[in-house]
Amino acid sequence: MAKIADARKTVEQLKLEVNIDRMMVSKAAAELMAYCESHAKEDPLLTPVPSSENPFREKKIFCAIL
Amino acid sequence: VQPQPDAKMCDQTFLAITFGPCDNCSQNKPLMNIYLKNEPINYCSLCVEMMACQGLAKGETIHTLKAESESLKSKLEEERAKLHDVELHQVAEKMEALGQFVMKTRRTLKGHGNKVLCMDWCRDKRRIVSSSQDGKVIVWDAYTTNKEHAVTMPCTWVMACAYAPSGCAVACGSDEEKSIQYVVLLYVFVILTSSGDGTCALWDVESGQLLQSFHGHSADVLSLDLAPSETGNTFVSGGCDKKANVWDMRSGQNVQSFETHESDINSVKYYPSGDAFASGSDDATCRLYDLRADREVAIYSKESIIFGASSVDFSLSGRLLFAGHNDYTINVWDVLKGTRVAILFGHENRVSTVRVSPDGTAFCSGSWDNTLRMKVKGLAVVIGVLHHPVVSAPRAAGELRNIGHSFPVIYS
Repeated sequence: MAKIADARKTVEQLKLEVNIDRMMVSKAAAELMAYCESHAKEDPLLTPVPSSENPFREKKIFCAIL
Repeated sequence: VQPQPDAKMCDQTFLAITFGPCDNCSQNKPLMNIYLKNEPINYCSLCVEMMACQGLAKGETIHTLKAESESLKSKLEEERAKLHDVELHQVAEKMEALGQFVMKTRRTLKGHGNKVLCMDWCRDKRRIVSSSQDGKVIVWDAYTTNKEHAVTMPCTWVMACAYAPSGCAVACGSDEEKSIQYVVLLYVFVILTSSGDGTCALWDVESGQLLQSFHGHSADVLSLDLAPSETGNTFVSGGCDKKANVWDMRSGQNVQSFETHESDINSVKYYPSGDAFASGSDDATCRLYDLRADREVAIYSKESIIFGASSVDFSLSGRLLFAGHNDYTINVWDVLKGTRVAILFGHENRVSTVRVSPDGTAFCSGSWDNTLRMKVKGLAVVIGVLHHPVVSAPRAAGELRNIGHSFPVIYS
Protein backbone atom coordinates (compact mmCIF):
# COMPACT_ATOMS: atom_id res chain seq x y z
CA MET A 1 0.00 0.00 0.00
CA ALA A 2 2.83 2.34 0.92
CA LYS A 3 4.50 1.55 -2.40
CA ILE A 4 1.39 2.55 -4.34
CA ALA A 5 1.11 5.78 -2.36
CA ASP A 6 4.79 6.56 -3.04
CA ALA A 7 4.49 5.72 -6.73
CA ARG A 8 1.39 7.92 -7.05
CA LYS A 9 3.13 10.79 -5.27
CA THR A 10 6.15 10.45 -7.58
CA VAL A 11 3.86 10.61 -10.62
CA GLU A 12 2.09 13.70 -9.23
CA GLN A 13 5.41 15.37 -8.44
CA LEU A 14 6.74 14.71 -11.94
CA LYS A 15 3.54 15.99 -13.59
CA LEU A 16 3.94 19.18 -11.62
CA GLU A 17 7.57 19.60 -12.64
CA VAL A 18 6.84 18.91 -16.31
CA ASN A 19 4.06 21.50 -16.41
CA ILE A 20 5.87 24.57 -15.05
CA ASP A 21 6.47 27.61 -17.27
CA ARG A 22 10.02 27.88 -18.55
CA MET A 23 12.14 30.58 -20.14
CA MET A 24 14.74 30.22 -22.90
CA VAL A 25 18.31 30.08 -21.58
CA SER A 26 19.27 33.06 -23.78
CA LYS A 27 16.67 35.24 -22.06
CA ALA A 28 17.45 33.93 -18.55
CA ALA A 29 21.19 34.45 -19.14
CA ALA A 30 20.61 37.99 -20.39
CA GLU A 31 18.73 38.79 -17.18
CA LEU A 32 21.49 37.34 -14.97
CA MET A 33 24.01 39.50 -16.84
CA ALA A 34 21.83 42.59 -16.56
CA TYR A 35 21.61 42.11 -12.79
CA CYS A 36 25.40 41.81 -12.47
CA GLU A 37 26.00 44.88 -14.57
CA SER A 38 23.50 47.05 -12.75
CA HIS A 39 24.93 46.10 -9.34
CA ALA A 40 28.63 45.99 -10.22
CA LYS A 41 29.41 49.45 -8.87
CA GLU A 42 27.86 48.62 -5.49
CA ASP A 43 29.87 45.43 -5.12
CA PRO A 44 32.93 46.26 -2.99
CA LEU A 45 34.65 43.02 -3.93
CA LEU A 46 34.41 43.99 -7.62
CA THR A 47 34.89 47.74 -7.42
CA PRO A 48 37.11 48.38 -4.43
CA VAL A 49 36.02 51.15 -2.08
CA PRO A 50 38.61 53.62 -0.83
CA SER A 51 40.57 52.44 2.22
CA SER A 52 39.04 55.16 4.36
CA GLU A 53 35.60 53.62 3.88
CA ASN A 54 36.65 50.07 4.43
CA PRO A 55 36.34 49.10 8.09
CA PHE A 56 38.71 46.20 7.69
CA ARG A 57 41.62 48.09 6.22
CA GLU A 58 44.41 49.37 8.41
CA LYS A 59 44.01 53.12 8.87
CA LYS A 60 47.04 55.36 8.63
CA ILE A 61 47.97 56.73 12.01
CA PHE A 62 49.32 60.22 11.99
CA CYS A 63 50.28 60.75 15.57
CA ALA A 64 53.17 59.11 17.35
CA ILE A 65 53.83 58.79 21.04
CA LEU A 66 56.88 60.79 21.91
CA VAL B 1 -0.13 29.21 17.06
CA GLN B 2 -0.98 32.87 17.31
CA PRO B 3 0.95 34.81 14.65
CA GLN B 4 3.10 37.60 16.10
CA PRO B 5 1.81 40.94 14.82
CA ASP B 6 5.08 42.13 13.34
CA ALA B 7 6.41 38.87 11.93
CA LYS B 8 6.44 39.02 8.12
CA MET B 9 5.66 35.32 7.91
CA CYS B 10 2.04 36.02 8.96
CA ASP B 11 1.39 38.49 6.15
CA GLN B 12 2.33 35.87 3.61
CA THR B 13 0.26 33.07 5.12
CA PHE B 14 -2.96 34.66 3.92
CA LEU B 15 -2.12 35.23 0.26
CA ALA B 16 -4.91 33.72 -1.84
CA ILE B 17 -2.78 31.78 -4.26
CA THR B 18 -1.41 29.05 -2.03
CA PHE B 19 -3.71 29.41 0.94
CA GLY B 20 -7.41 28.89 0.52
CA PRO B 21 -10.22 26.38 0.31
CA CYS B 22 -9.12 22.86 -0.62
CA ASP B 23 -10.84 21.56 -3.79
CA ASN B 24 -11.63 18.36 -1.96
CA CYS B 25 -12.44 19.11 1.68
CA SER B 26 -13.16 22.88 1.34
CA GLN B 27 -11.15 23.74 4.46
CA ASN B 28 -8.89 26.80 4.37
CA LYS B 29 -5.36 25.45 4.35
CA PRO B 30 -2.03 25.90 2.55
CA LEU B 31 -2.59 24.30 -0.85
CA MET B 32 -0.55 22.08 -3.10
CA ASN B 33 -0.96 22.12 -6.88
CA ILE B 34 -1.55 18.67 -8.31
CA TYR B 35 -2.93 17.24 -11.54
CA LEU B 36 -5.85 14.82 -11.48
CA LYS B 37 -6.63 13.38 -14.93
CA ASN B 38 -4.43 16.19 -16.33
CA GLU B 39 -6.55 18.93 -14.79
CA PRO B 40 -4.75 21.26 -12.36
CA ILE B 41 -6.40 21.38 -8.94
CA ASN B 42 -5.53 22.57 -5.44
CA TYR B 43 -5.58 20.09 -2.60
CA CYS B 44 -4.46 20.56 1.00
CA SER B 45 -1.64 18.26 2.04
CA LEU B 46 -4.00 15.96 4.00
CA CYS B 47 -6.22 15.35 0.97
CA VAL B 48 -3.13 14.72 -1.16
CA GLU B 49 -2.05 12.02 1.28
CA MET B 50 -5.51 10.45 1.31
CA MET B 51 -5.72 10.46 -2.47
CA ALA B 52 -2.33 8.80 -2.68
CA CYS B 53 -3.46 6.03 -0.30
CA GLN B 54 -6.70 5.08 -2.03
CA GLY B 55 -7.06 1.61 -3.50
CA LEU B 56 -5.88 0.97 -7.02
CA ALA B 57 -8.10 2.33 -9.78
CA LYS B 58 -9.17 0.12 -12.70
CA GLY B 59 -6.18 -0.93 -14.77
CA GLU B 60 -3.71 0.73 -12.42
CA THR B 61 -0.83 -1.34 -11.05
CA ILE B 62 2.47 -0.52 -9.44
CA HIS B 63 3.99 -1.23 -12.85
CA THR B 64 1.76 1.19 -14.75
CA LEU B 65 2.60 3.86 -12.17
CA LYS B 66 6.34 3.20 -12.54
CA ALA B 67 6.06 3.26 -16.34
CA GLU B 68 4.20 6.56 -16.07
CA SER B 69 7.02 7.91 -13.86
CA GLU B 70 9.66 6.94 -16.39
CA SER B 71 7.81 8.48 -19.28
CA LEU B 72 7.27 11.69 -17.29
CA LYS B 73 10.99 11.86 -16.49
CA SER B 74 11.79 11.65 -20.22
CA LYS B 75 9.20 14.29 -20.97
CA LEU B 76 10.77 16.55 -18.32
CA GLU B 77 14.20 16.22 -19.96
CA GLU B 78 12.69 16.93 -23.40
CA GLU B 79 10.91 20.05 -22.19
CA ARG B 80 14.06 21.33 -20.52
CA ALA B 81 16.19 20.61 -23.61
CA LYS B 82 13.85 22.66 -25.83
CA LEU B 83 14.97 25.85 -24.09
CA HIS B 84 18.68 25.14 -24.22
CA ASP B 85 19.41 27.50 -27.12
CA VAL B 86 22.71 28.88 -25.87
CA GLU B 87 25.27 28.58 -23.05
CA LEU B 88 25.56 31.25 -20.35
CA HIS B 89 29.27 31.79 -21.02
CA GLN B 90 28.54 32.43 -24.71
CA VAL B 91 26.05 35.15 -23.83
CA ALA B 92 28.65 36.54 -21.39
CA GLU B 93 31.41 36.77 -23.99
CA LYS B 94 30.61 40.39 -24.71
CA MET B 95 31.03 41.37 -21.06
CA GLU B 96 34.23 42.99 -19.92
CA ALA B 97 36.65 40.61 -18.27
CA LEU B 98 37.30 41.16 -14.58
CA GLY B 99 40.55 42.85 -13.62
CA GLN B 100 43.23 41.10 -11.62
CA PHE B 101 41.77 39.83 -8.42
CA VAL B 102 43.77 40.40 -5.28
CA MET B 103 42.50 39.58 -1.82
CA LYS B 104 44.39 39.54 1.41
CA THR B 105 43.59 38.05 4.75
CA ARG B 106 42.72 40.97 7.01
CA ARG B 107 41.72 39.26 10.22
CA THR B 108 42.18 35.83 11.63
CA LEU B 109 39.81 34.90 14.38
CA LYS B 110 41.43 32.41 16.69
CA GLY B 111 39.78 30.92 19.72
CA HIS B 112 37.98 27.78 18.74
CA GLY B 113 39.57 24.67 20.13
CA ASN B 114 38.61 22.51 17.20
CA LYS B 115 37.30 22.55 13.61
CA VAL B 116 35.11 25.50 12.65
CA LEU B 117 32.03 24.01 11.02
CA CYS B 118 29.78 26.96 10.31
CA MET B 119 29.55 30.71 10.52
CA ASP B 120 27.10 33.50 9.79
CA TRP B 121 27.24 37.28 9.60
CA CYS B 122 24.98 39.55 11.59
CA ARG B 123 23.06 42.17 9.60
CA ASP B 124 25.09 44.87 11.34
CA LYS B 125 27.94 43.73 9.00
CA ARG B 126 30.24 43.56 11.97
CA ARG B 127 29.38 40.61 14.14
CA ILE B 128 29.96 37.01 13.24
CA VAL B 129 28.72 33.87 14.93
CA SER B 130 30.72 30.68 14.49
CA SER B 131 30.30 27.14 15.72
CA SER B 132 32.79 24.37 16.17
CA GLN B 133 33.40 20.72 16.83
CA ASP B 134 34.57 21.77 20.29
CA GLY B 135 30.94 22.41 21.22
CA LYS B 136 31.31 26.18 21.41
CA VAL B 137 29.38 28.90 19.68
CA ILE B 138 31.27 32.20 19.64
CA VAL B 139 30.07 35.67 18.67
CA TRP B 140 32.92 37.88 17.40
CA ASP B 141 33.30 41.54 16.57
CA ALA B 142 34.92 41.25 13.15
CA TYR B 143 36.34 44.79 13.19
CA THR B 144 38.27 44.37 16.44
CA THR B 145 38.42 40.54 16.47
CA ASN B 146 37.20 40.54 20.08
CA LYS B 147 34.99 37.74 21.21
CA GLU B 148 31.72 39.09 22.53
CA HIS B 149 30.08 35.92 23.72
CA ALA B 150 30.98 32.30 24.00
CA VAL B 151 28.39 29.66 24.71
CA THR B 152 29.12 26.03 25.40
CA MET B 153 26.58 23.67 23.88
CA PRO B 154 25.83 20.43 25.71
CA CYS B 155 27.28 18.49 22.76
CA THR B 156 30.11 18.53 20.23
CA TRP B 157 29.98 18.96 16.43
CA VAL B 158 27.85 22.08 16.34
CA MET B 159 27.22 21.71 12.63
CA ALA B 160 25.21 24.82 12.05
CA CYS B 161 24.70 28.30 13.39
CA ALA B 162 22.81 31.33 12.17
CA TYR B 163 22.15 34.90 13.21
CA ALA B 164 18.57 36.13 13.51
CA PRO B 165 17.81 39.01 11.15
CA SER B 166 17.13 41.17 14.21
CA GLY B 167 20.66 40.49 15.45
CA CYS B 168 19.28 39.68 18.87
CA ALA B 169 19.49 35.94 18.73
CA VAL B 170 21.47 33.10 17.25
CA ALA B 171 20.40 29.57 16.56
CA CYS B 172 22.59 26.53 16.38
CA GLY B 173 22.13 22.89 15.65
CA SER B 174 24.17 19.88 16.54
CA ASP B 175 24.95 16.49 15.21
CA GLU B 176 23.04 14.63 17.89
CA GLU B 177 20.02 12.37 17.58
CA LYS B 178 18.48 13.09 14.22
CA SER B 179 21.29 15.57 13.52
CA ILE B 180 20.52 19.05 12.26
CA GLN B 181 22.80 19.75 9.37
CA TYR B 182 21.87 23.28 8.52
CA VAL B 183 19.96 26.09 10.09
CA VAL B 184 18.52 29.27 8.69
CA LEU B 185 16.93 31.64 11.15
CA LEU B 186 14.12 33.47 9.41
CA TYR B 187 12.79 35.66 12.09
CA VAL B 188 13.09 35.12 15.79
CA PHE B 189 9.65 33.53 15.63
CA VAL B 190 10.28 30.92 12.96
CA ILE B 191 13.19 28.67 12.16
CA LEU B 192 13.94 26.45 9.18
CA THR B 193 16.13 23.40 9.59
CA SER B 194 17.43 20.52 7.56
CA SER B 195 18.27 17.14 8.89
CA GLY B 196 20.24 13.94 8.47
CA ASP B 197 16.91 12.13 8.15
CA GLY B 198 16.33 13.65 4.71
CA THR B 199 13.68 16.18 5.68
CA CYS B 200 13.54 19.91 6.20
CA ALA B 201 11.25 21.42 8.80
CA LEU B 202 9.77 24.80 9.64
CA TRP B 203 9.21 25.44 13.36
CA ASP B 204 7.51 28.04 15.48
CA VAL B 205 10.07 29.04 18.07
CA GLU B 206 7.65 30.19 20.74
CA SER B 207 5.70 26.96 20.97
CA GLY B 208 8.22 24.52 19.54
CA GLN B 209 5.54 23.40 17.13
CA LEU B 210 6.30 21.92 13.72
CA LEU B 211 4.60 24.16 11.16
CA GLN B 212 5.54 22.41 7.94
CA SER B 213 7.75 19.53 6.87
CA PHE B 214 9.40 19.03 3.51
CA HIS B 215 9.83 15.52 2.13
CA GLY B 216 11.58 14.74 -1.13
CA HIS B 217 15.24 14.10 -0.44
CA SER B 218 16.27 10.47 -0.09
CA ALA B 219 19.34 11.16 2.04
CA ASP B 220 20.81 13.73 4.47
CA VAL B 221 20.02 17.34 3.59
CA LEU B 222 23.28 19.22 4.06
CA SER B 223 22.41 22.76 3.15
CA LEU B 224 19.57 25.28 2.86
CA ASP B 225 19.21 28.78 1.57
CA LEU B 226 16.24 31.13 1.63
CA ALA B 227 15.18 33.08 -1.45
CA PRO B 228 16.43 36.66 -1.03
CA SER B 229 13.31 38.59 -1.95
CA GLU B 230 11.40 40.34 0.83
CA THR B 231 8.19 38.64 -0.28
CA GLY B 232 9.92 35.37 -1.14
CA ASN B 233 8.50 32.22 0.26
CA THR B 234 10.73 29.59 -1.28
CA PHE B 235 13.98 27.98 -0.26
CA VAL B 236 16.47 25.65 -1.89
CA SER B 237 18.01 22.56 -0.26
CA GLY B 238 20.90 20.31 -1.30
CA GLY B 239 21.73 16.83 -0.06
CA CYS B 240 23.60 13.58 -0.17
CA ASP B 241 21.16 12.26 -2.80
CA LYS B 242 22.92 14.66 -5.28
CA LYS B 243 19.68 16.60 -5.67
CA ALA B 244 18.93 20.25 -5.20
CA ASN B 245 15.24 20.93 -4.50
CA VAL B 246 13.29 24.17 -4.47
CA TRP B 247 10.37 24.30 -2.02
CA ASP B 248 7.30 26.42 -1.33
CA MET B 249 7.54 27.15 2.41
CA ARG B 250 3.82 27.46 3.01
CA SER B 251 2.50 24.37 1.25
CA GLY B 252 5.53 22.13 1.73
CA GLN B 253 5.55 21.42 -1.97
CA ASN B 254 8.70 20.61 -3.91
CA VAL B 255 8.35 22.94 -6.92
CA GLN B 256 11.54 22.18 -8.85
CA SER B 257 14.25 19.53 -8.63
CA PHE B 258 17.74 19.35 -10.17
CA GLU B 259 19.93 16.27 -10.30
CA THR B 260 23.12 16.91 -12.29
CA HIS B 261 25.84 16.68 -9.63
CA GLU B 262 27.75 13.42 -9.40
CA SER B 263 28.11 13.40 -5.64
CA ASP B 264 26.81 14.94 -2.38
CA ILE B 265 25.77 18.58 -2.56
CA ASN B 266 27.39 20.29 0.44
CA SER B 267 26.21 23.83 -0.07
CA VAL B 268 23.50 25.78 -1.92
CA LYS B 269 23.18 29.55 -2.20
CA TYR B 270 20.78 31.82 -4.07
CA TYR B 271 22.04 34.28 -6.67
CA PRO B 272 21.30 37.77 -5.24
CA SER B 273 18.38 38.38 -7.65
CA GLY B 274 16.71 35.15 -6.52
CA ASP B 275 16.43 33.86 -10.12
CA ALA B 276 19.19 31.27 -9.81
CA PHE B 277 21.22 29.38 -7.25
CA ALA B 278 24.71 27.88 -7.01
CA SER B 279 25.72 24.57 -5.50
CA GLY B 280 29.02 23.12 -4.30
CA SER B 281 29.60 19.38 -4.28
CA ASP B 282 31.92 16.54 -3.37
CA ASP B 283 32.27 15.97 -7.11
CA ALA B 284 34.69 18.97 -7.02
CA THR B 285 32.42 21.17 -9.13
CA CYS B 286 30.15 24.10 -8.45
CA ARG B 287 27.12 24.60 -10.67
CA LEU B 288 24.64 27.36 -11.42
CA TYR B 289 20.96 26.51 -11.91
CA ASP B 290 18.58 29.08 -13.38
CA LEU B 291 15.08 28.75 -11.89
CA ARG B 292 13.18 30.22 -14.83
CA ALA B 293 15.02 28.22 -17.48
CA ASP B 294 14.62 25.26 -15.11
CA ARG B 295 18.10 23.85 -15.81
CA GLU B 296 21.77 23.90 -15.02
CA VAL B 297 23.33 26.82 -16.91
CA ALA B 298 26.96 26.70 -15.82
CA ILE B 299 29.57 24.34 -14.36
CA TYR B 300 32.59 25.73 -12.53
CA SER B 301 35.28 23.10 -12.70
CA LYS B 302 38.85 22.44 -13.70
CA GLU B 303 40.79 19.24 -14.11
CA SER B 304 43.18 20.48 -11.45
CA ILE B 305 40.40 20.86 -8.89
CA ILE B 306 39.82 17.40 -7.45
CA PHE B 307 38.71 18.10 -3.89
CA GLY B 308 35.07 18.64 -2.96
CA ALA B 309 33.59 22.10 -2.51
CA SER B 310 32.17 22.44 0.98
CA SER B 311 30.65 25.91 0.84
CA VAL B 312 29.73 28.56 -1.73
CA ASP B 313 28.65 32.20 -1.64
CA PHE B 314 28.12 35.05 -4.11
CA SER B 315 29.50 38.57 -3.99
CA LEU B 316 26.89 41.34 -3.74
CA SER B 317 26.36 41.77 -7.49
CA GLY B 318 26.43 38.05 -8.18
CA ARG B 319 29.41 38.35 -10.51
CA LEU B 320 31.79 36.43 -8.23
CA LEU B 321 31.31 33.00 -6.67
CA PHE B 322 33.51 31.99 -3.74
CA ALA B 323 33.92 28.28 -3.15
CA GLY B 324 35.73 26.74 -0.17
CA HIS B 325 37.30 23.37 -0.82
CA ASN B 326 38.63 20.39 1.10
CA ASP B 327 42.14 21.04 -0.25
CA TYR B 328 42.31 24.10 2.05
CA THR B 329 41.82 26.60 -0.79
CA ILE B 330 39.09 28.97 -1.89
CA ASN B 331 38.38 29.29 -5.60
CA VAL B 332 36.89 32.50 -6.94
CA TRP B 333 34.88 32.23 -10.18
CA ASP B 334 33.52 34.70 -12.71
CA VAL B 335 29.92 33.48 -12.51
CA LEU B 336 28.96 34.60 -16.03
CA LYS B 337 32.06 33.72 -18.02
CA GLY B 338 32.67 30.50 -16.12
CA THR B 339 36.38 31.18 -15.62
CA ARG B 340 38.35 31.09 -12.39
CA VAL B 341 39.67 34.52 -11.42
CA ALA B 342 41.68 33.62 -8.31
CA ILE B 343 42.68 30.92 -5.84
CA LEU B 344 43.02 32.01 -2.23
CA PHE B 345 45.33 30.30 0.20
CA GLY B 346 45.83 30.71 3.91
CA HIS B 347 43.97 27.99 5.70
CA GLU B 348 45.85 25.01 7.06
CA ASN B 349 43.01 22.54 6.79
CA ARG B 350 39.85 22.08 4.79
CA VAL B 351 37.60 25.10 4.38
CA SER B 352 34.19 24.30 5.85
CA THR B 353 32.28 27.54 5.34
CA VAL B 354 32.50 30.79 3.32
CA ARG B 355 30.18 33.76 3.76
CA VAL B 356 30.22 37.21 2.20
CA SER B 357 29.39 40.01 4.64
CA PRO B 358 25.93 41.65 4.34
CA ASP B 359 27.35 44.83 2.74
CA GLY B 360 29.71 42.84 0.52
CA THR B 361 32.93 44.44 1.76
CA ALA B 362 34.53 41.25 2.96
CA PHE B 363 34.09 37.57 3.17
CA CYS B 364 34.87 35.22 5.99
CA SER B 365 35.97 31.61 5.74
CA GLY B 366 35.98 29.04 8.50
CA SER B 367 38.15 26.00 8.53
CA TRP B 368 39.08 22.74 10.18
CA ASP B 369 42.30 24.55 11.14
CA ASN B 370 40.17 26.09 13.95
CA THR B 371 40.32 29.63 12.56
CA LEU B 372 38.15 32.06 10.66
CA ARG B 373 39.83 34.34 8.16
CA MET B 374 38.51 37.48 6.61
CA LYS B 375 39.47 38.73 3.22
CA VAL B 376 38.99 42.09 1.61
CA LYS B 377 39.78 43.01 -1.95
CA GLY B 378 42.52 45.36 -2.98
CA LEU B 379 46.13 46.25 -2.46
CA ALA B 380 47.55 45.38 0.89
CA VAL B 381 50.76 45.69 2.76
CA VAL B 382 50.05 44.01 6.05
CA ILE B 383 48.35 40.72 6.61
CA GLY B 384 46.84 40.79 10.06
CA VAL B 385 46.93 37.73 12.24
CA LEU B 386 45.69 38.66 15.65
CA HIS B 387 45.47 36.80 18.90
CA HIS B 388 42.54 37.24 21.14
CA PRO B 389 41.78 38.31 24.64
CA VAL B 390 40.03 36.16 27.23
CA VAL B 391 36.65 34.82 26.26
CA SER B 392 33.89 36.93 27.75
CA ALA B 393 31.11 35.37 29.78
CA PRO B 394 27.83 34.71 27.98
CA ARG B 395 25.06 37.15 28.74
CA ALA B 396 22.11 35.83 30.68
CA ALA B 397 20.16 33.65 28.33
CA GLY B 398 16.45 33.92 27.85
CA GLU B 399 14.66 30.62 27.90
CA LEU B 400 16.43 27.71 26.34
CA ARG B 401 14.17 25.45 24.31
CA ASN B 402 14.81 22.06 22.84
CA ILE B 403 12.58 21.86 19.83
CA GLY B 404 11.37 18.49 18.62
CA HIS B 405 13.72 16.06 17.00
CA SER B 406 16.15 18.43 15.55
CA PHE B 407 17.61 20.07 18.62
CA PRO B 408 18.12 23.67 17.63
CA VAL B 409 18.75 25.88 20.63
CA ILE B 410 17.91 29.55 20.65
CA TYR B 411 19.81 32.02 22.76
CA SER B 412 18.70 35.59 23.11
